[in-house]
Amino acid sequence: WNAERRRRRRRRRRPRRRLVSSFCYCLLFSSELWSVNRAWRGLAKGTLSYVTPLYQFRHTQLKSYSRQLSAFIAAEKQEGLAVEVGGLQNTFKVSFSVLRFRQEDPPKTVWCGWLSCINGNPEYLQSLPKDFTCLPLFCSKGAEDLSSLVKSWLQRTFDCCFGPLDINQTTLQWLAALWTNCHMETNIQNLKMIWTLPVLPPLQVTYTVDSDDVLDLWRSTRESSAEKSREAEDEVCIDFSEVTRFMQGLMSHFYRHFRVDLSAGELNQVSSALGSAKVNGKIKISSSRYLISIFSLLTECALLKMPI
Amino acid sequence: VDMATQLNLSDSDSSDLSDQSVFTRRSNRSLRIAEQERRKKEEEDPFVLALKYFSEVEAGTPVTGNDELENNLVRVEKVAFSRGLSPEAISVMLDFAMSLRMGNPCARVLKCLLPASVVPQEAVVRAIVWLTVRKLPISTQTLHFLVLVLFQCPFICHLLYLLTRKENGKPGFDIYFSGRQPYLLYLLSLYKVFCPELVTLSIPSRMKSGFKNHISPWKSALITVQKRNDMQVASSISLAFAVRDKTASRKRKHAHLELPSLSPVTITEPQAAQSSSRKLVPMQQIQSFAQLLQNMHRIELPAQMGSLLGSSLALQYLDCVQDESALLRLNFWLGYTLHEEFLFCSDGGANKNPEEALQFLNRLLSVQHFLQEGFNSSDAFMYKFLNVWDGSLLRPQILGLLSNIPVIPSSQIKTLLFDPLMQLFFTSSLFFKCGLIECLNHMLLKWLTWHSAYALEDDLDISLNSHTNITLSGFKDSVMELVHFVGRLASVGLQLEGCHSLLLSFILDFYETVCDTFLKFGLPLVVMPPPGVFYPAFFAADPVSVDRLAFIMHRWETIHLVQSKPWNWYLEYLFTQGFDGLKDFVQNSINQRVMMAGDGCDNVTQSQKLGSAPHIKQPLLS
Repeated sequence: WNAERRRRRRRRRRPRRRLVSSFCYCLLFSSELWSVNRAWRGLAKGTLSYVTPLYQFRHTQLKSYSRQLSAFIAAEKQEGLAVEVGGLQNTFKVSFSVLRFRQEDPPKTVWCGWLSCINGNPEYLQSLPKDFTCLPLFCSKGAEDLSSLVKSWLQRTFDCCFGPLDINQTTLQWLAALWTNCHMETNIQNLKMIWTLPVLPPLQVTYTVDSDDVLDLWRSTRESSAEKSREAEDEVCIDFSEVTRFMQGLMSHFYRHFRVDLSAGELNQVSSALGSAKVNGKIKISSSRYLISIFSLLTECALLKMPI
Repeated sequence: VDMATQLNLSDSDSSDLSDQSVFTRRSNRSLRIAEQERRKKEEEDPFVLALKYFSEVEAGTPVTGNDELENNLVRVEKVAFSRGLSPEAISVMLDFAMSLRMGNPCARVLKCLLPASVVPQEAVVRAIVWLTVRKLPISTQTLHFLVLVLFQCPFICHLLYLLTRKENGKPGFDIYFSGRQPYLLYLLSLYKVFCPELVTLSIPSRMKSGFKNHISPWKSALITVQKRNDMQVASSISLAFAVRDKTASRKRKHAHLELPSLSPVTITEPQAAQSSSRKLVPMQQIQSFAQLLQNMHRIELPAQMGSLLGSSLALQYLDCVQDESALLRLNFWLGYTLHEEFLFCSDGGANKNPEEALQFLNRLLSVQHFLQEGFNSSDAFMYKFLNVWDGSLLRPQILGLLSNIPVIPSSQIKTLLFDPLMQLFFTSSLFFKCGLIECLNHMLLKWLTWHSAYALEDDLDISLNSHTNITLSGFKDSVMELVHFVGRLASVGLQLEGCHSLLLSFILDFYETVCDTFLKFGLPLVVMPPPGVFYPAFFAADPVSVDRLAFIMHRWETIHLVQSKPWNWYLEYLFTQGFDGLKDFVQNSINQRVMMAGDGCDNVTQSQKLGSAPHIKQPLLS
């Protein structure tokens, strides 16, 4: 701890340099079990975009990329001044790095973003030529103008395209089920869902279910299928049909009380104490439980948006 | 008097050359006279006189209130803004401006230095000499214009490159500057175009500076002059001015439809092979086809492949090179743009800016027409889009893109193409039906053309998108499926529209193409128009439809005569297709012909058949 404090003090004495971004990217294609630590929590928040595969992205050149991105941002910010790459007068510091799990949270980040591909469809990934690196999920947190600068630099350098990722209904339903399942270990407080119904004027329904009740419903949904297959208790294996039944249970309960059929509308947002996800791509994940599953779902969402 | 003396001179000359033939003497005389007349006209030309004034005016002549100066300047300006100034005129005016014979060079003089073709090197050198010798106190505005004019000379860029280069490629001297000097930034961005590896600066993409206010009218005047002289506006200046003008285009949230600018790759790997092997030429520098051919083996593709869609030269290069990664990059960008603009927009994005969408699709269509084939990404987009299209949004463009779809295997053609098209067809207007039939006609034609070209090439893969290797039988199946599908559409469509003659005309066009499958394209297929098409055409009220049907029947006849298949076979075939009535009809006409044996006449037209046909046994409309 003393070493950390010393390091921090040394950083403060350096001239004013704002840390623009801690750019992390993950290149994991297989589903290993990680020991995820707190570093993820700070990063798993922001707005999602999908990215077409990057051309000639070399993870050996991260330092060079950091320098170039830094110069690019500085040049765009200070209009009319050309900035030398790697020069000393930069006031922005950019760092590209692979996310290491023992990494601390870098202090004073103004902007943060990451590119990743977790459990991507292996057929699709193998169909791409060797020059391409497929990192379809991009998350950015911070000032909007910096986000657009970083995106435009990436577009120019790696010839990729960014588009807004709309989290689809399937993924949102999955998240609802996963977080409900988490309640057995961590208290999720309640499960909140926001639906929009296509009427005039548009109707927005906020449906909040107490955590114990929703867990009961989830358990009862699973019991019928658990009879068929006796799996080990610790290995959680959820079928999508169970998720569908769970959602139908929730919706029919709502219908019984309010005579409004939620299946005619769209699920816009799912949130609990463990995080929230909106259909416009904004996510916030506060717990590391099921992180890999969640990111696998999001990666699949992003891969669905690939044009070819 | 001058004219007379000149004529006399010419006469005396010609009389002295007695050994020359009369003809040549006369022709010489006429040439000489023409030349002298032209010279006379030039001398009297006010523009020429004005130029003469500027070249001869003495130092110290007062500027203000000088009417002669004013008039001459106006004359020069008039010519400059309409046609542009010739190189000699440019050098005269530049000399006048920079030599300070009449005070500080005013921006007005420099503004009218619009070159018609090029700025000569001597003028540039002289101007620079004046600059350095006289140590002129020039205002920044004047300096801007001066820089712009000088850079019209391609020599300058090359000079700059040579000055800053040593033998081993390292820069000869460093460019130092500080502070905000926008015109120097423009110079640097220009320089970066020619030698990107020497300019390791990051130049902001949007350079808003005072430059814009002064130069945009000048720039537009320059472009107008060059266009009038039919010059390619592809000089180095226009490259620098490709800086996106944010005020011109509306600020849009999703600016997908703008093609990315053709910029060279900015990141060079540290141990690049450049120093050892050939120097790569960025695509941006290739301005003409001759240049493309010269540098074919060492062209560097741009950073963003989407920018190639704007340049036909680049597309030609792409077609030859067939680099898989490059094509995939282009397809990713194109697919992304199409999806974002038309498929993923939840707020009706395409409806908000139909003009730009229209232009984009037109450009895509022209590119596909140029390359004679479509792109993988646009095909994938079309299959998805057909399911959600309403049939009226950008109809001609979408139908055009549809006709460029390559051959689809017969196992997938139903789900991918036929089902959505059927839905669209039966719920649409007459004009859409006609348009769709025409589109499917073009599609069939393109499939047949592609197949005939591909079959000839044997092992060579000539296509850009490496179509899946479809076998001949697979191809035949697909074509059969398409023809039958159109037959079904046509039959029901004609019933719905009451045998409308316009629709019938498009359908008969299609069947003319079907006739060509064997004759022109060598594909052994025999497909007759179905009853639902044949009978409406046969009994049509307008003679044109009947004539066209007769033409089609005649062509079938020709095929079978060429094939020398016996008539029995033809009749049997008709019978299997359910053409009982027709079979009888033809049978009777054949009997008629056999009775009139010995004619050897192949051209038995429908009218003759009609004239000689006996009554039909079975009802025709069953």
